[in-house]
Amino acid sequence: MAAAAAAGSGTPREEEAPGGEAAASQAQAPTSAPGGVRLSRLPLARVKALVKADPDVTLAGQEAIFILARAAELFVETIAKDAYCCAQQGKRKTLQRRDLDNAIEAVDEFAFLEGLFQR
Amino acid sequence: MAERPEDLNLPNAVITRIIKEALPDGVNISKEARSAISRAASVFVLYATSCANNFAMKGKRKTLNASDVLSAMEEMEFQRFITPLKEALEAYRREQKGKKEASEQKKKDKDKKDSEEQDKSREEEEEDEERLDEDDQNEEEEIDN
Repeated sequence: MAAAAAAGSGTPREEEAPGGEAAASQAQAPTSAPGGVRLSRLPLARVKALVKADPDVTLAGQEAIFILARAAELFVETIAKDAYCCAQQGKRKTLQRRDLDNAIEAVDEFAFLEGLFQR
Repeated sequence: MAERPEDLNLPNAVITRIIKEALPDGVNISKEARSAISRAASVFVLYATSCANNFAMKGKRKTLNASDVLSAMEEMEFQRFITPLKEALEAYRREQKGKKEASEQKKKDKDKKDSEEQDKSREEEEEDEERLDEDDQNEEEEIDN
């Protein structure tokens, strides 16, 4: 089982952490396989709500919702790491909003976020 | 009360956990930064949805499917996500298949059990008849399916 979890995770830290389970105060989608591979942490219902918010979208398949949830997780990891690089340069140990702003400006893929954080 | 789409946030606890696990130990995140990431994630989903929907419409489909989303990732220049997403998709499909098979198996077992019980009671009746008739009726094929 552990092997399956390890093999299945191209992404970091997919294995179950008992502490993590206990810390979940929000409702989690029951998407963990019996083998212990947690496929998605984000609740699919919320992701689905976002998808449905688009007036052009008629229907979305379950697999599509799942992949979007997983992609969102990867995105969060990615942007957190990129922002951390900026914080590290400032020798800080706490990620600040400005680190995010810097990351967004610096990384091309994050261009769609520009203007999101206008105060 | 209409909410703007970007107000539909993903749960803070989950976002925080994902961030913390992505970063080295001991690194913290300010509340502002965390909520900014959360909003960014929502916008990401919206943007990806819109992109994926374009692919679906091109294919004259009304339902978004997994490959639409993968195409959207490429379009958005998040190619690095594509491989892990494909792996996750396969694992998800296996799980779904496993669940389906498990419930089908359960159903089969239940049906089998039910019919076995029926057979058993029929057999008992047959045995009674045998004793009475003293006929050689030990062929179960007598029972019509």
